[in-house]
Amino acid sequence: MQNAKDSFYVALRTRLVAVNPERTILLRAAVRPGILVEEAEAPFSQLPTDVFVLRWLGLAVDQDLPATMAAEECEIVYATLGTQSFGGMDRGRAMSEMDEELVAMLAPFWTPKLNYRSTPATTLMTRVFWDEPVFQPVTVTRDRLTRSARVVVYSYEEAGELVG
Amino acid sequence: MSNSYLAAAPVVRRVRGYFAPVNRVTQTPVIFDAAEMGGFGLDSPPSPWIALGWLKGFTRKAVSKTAQIVSGVPAAVLEQTRETVGAEVSFEFLSWTKLTMVLASASQQMNLLLPAGGAAASGDGGAGVAAGVVGTGSTATFISLAPVDAAKFTAGQIVAVDVDYTGQTGYVGTPVSGAYVKSALTDVDYVRRVTVNVARIAQVGATGLTLAEALPGGAPAAGMKAQPVVGFVDREGGSFYQEWSAVFVMEGSQGERIFFHYPRLQALASAAESATALDGKTGTLERVLLAGRFVALPVTDPLDGERVVCYRSFLPAASSLV
Repeated sequence: MQNAKDSFYVALRTRLVAVNPERTILLRAAVRPGILVEEAEAPFSQLPTDVFVLRWLGLAVDQDLPATMAAEECEIVYATLGTQSFGGMDRGRAMSEMDEELVAMLAPFWTPKLNYRSTPATTLMTRVFWDEPVFQPVTVTRDRLTRSARVVVYSYEEAGELVG
Repeated sequence: MSNSYLAAAPVVRRVRGYFAPVNRVTQTPVIFDAAEMGGFGLDSPPSPWIALGWLKGFTRKAVSKTAQIVSGVPAAVLEQTRETVGAEVSFEFLSWTKLTMVLASASQQMNLLLPAGGAAASGDGGAGVAAGVVGTGSTATFISLAPVDAAKFTAGQIVAVDVDYTGQTGYVGTPVSGAYVKSALTDVDYVRRVTVNVARIAQVGATGLTLAEALPGGAPAAGMKAQPVVGFVDREGGSFYQEWSAVFVMEGSQGERIFFHYPRLQALASAAESATALDGKTGTLERVLLAGRFVALPVTDPLDGERVVCYRSFLPAASSLV
């Protein structure tokens, strides 16, 4: 299951670089594409703005199939304050921009499953695929706009694959 | 302390299905003996049974008809007589494989041969690339080929292994009759089009093909040829009905097992699919299942000469009172 989570994240990160290479984050002294996995970073007191944060939530498993299917629920959270140059009054536009970027990043709705435990990563036999996102309403906290979208990510466990 | 207990009704999850070929020429089914074979590992059935995986929506229905002989005034039932014997089974396969597609289709289920260069388009797939002669030393998981023939294949392809069509009529295909030829055809690859003797190629070597799964027909017989396949096709229409011997197993939570053995099943309905939502709450993805509906044909039980269509066996859980 970890391979599916890793593959989903890397696919979205790769697509974000193509969709908007300007969206970056300085994290642990490195400039990276503006998307991260919450459980793979040090805890945040407040989520960073203008980046996509992946948060893994629910899990369901169907073992009555030729290959066990895992359904992992991913919440993608993003927030913005707009830009300083506009005094934050462009925060609605900035939110729309991130909405559009997320829609673009999620299509096509599949990616090859890779095992990132090995270096270089090895391509496995099956694909990771996901449903269409379900967007939640924007929440407003003073000048901070936050939205989340939930995506169910499906994958098949392959023979010999470690269950993470 | 008692060393036995009174068991409640079995609690089961899904049903497992198993297939064995019927000899269509002699109408000889494969008989499942729950006493001898009932303890088999569900993932490794005894030969010649082949696992079909989990089934969904397993429903069986007796369609036998009983008549009552009444007598007296006022009339009362004197005795009963069975007018007809019949049964139907329906379920959905949870995987699409060559075998499940064959069983779920009430017609010939064909292999789409890798087309030869310039082959004319055809609904059944165009003329295939030339088949290679299977050499001696082949097994169920290794197909011996001349280097020139082996070079025609690539790892990851599907291969069909069966004889050339040479004008024969009647049932054709190994180990399952995949079609009934009423009058002579002209396609030399016809038997390999309808055969279920297919497998995925794991590796291609100079001397042959190593398979990722065993051929359903076991080691290829002399005279068979191998041909690459890209997929499968079946048609609505036609006059051929697939027939197979079936065992369905329900395993209870306490290890008890219920077996339903249909020595002869034929597809009753045309190829059909049913879709179920992966996430019924918000999702749009659907799993497409192969839907099968079958009619049971009779066999004569040699024990007492009775004509029957199904055997139901029950192996109780250990230590449960019976």
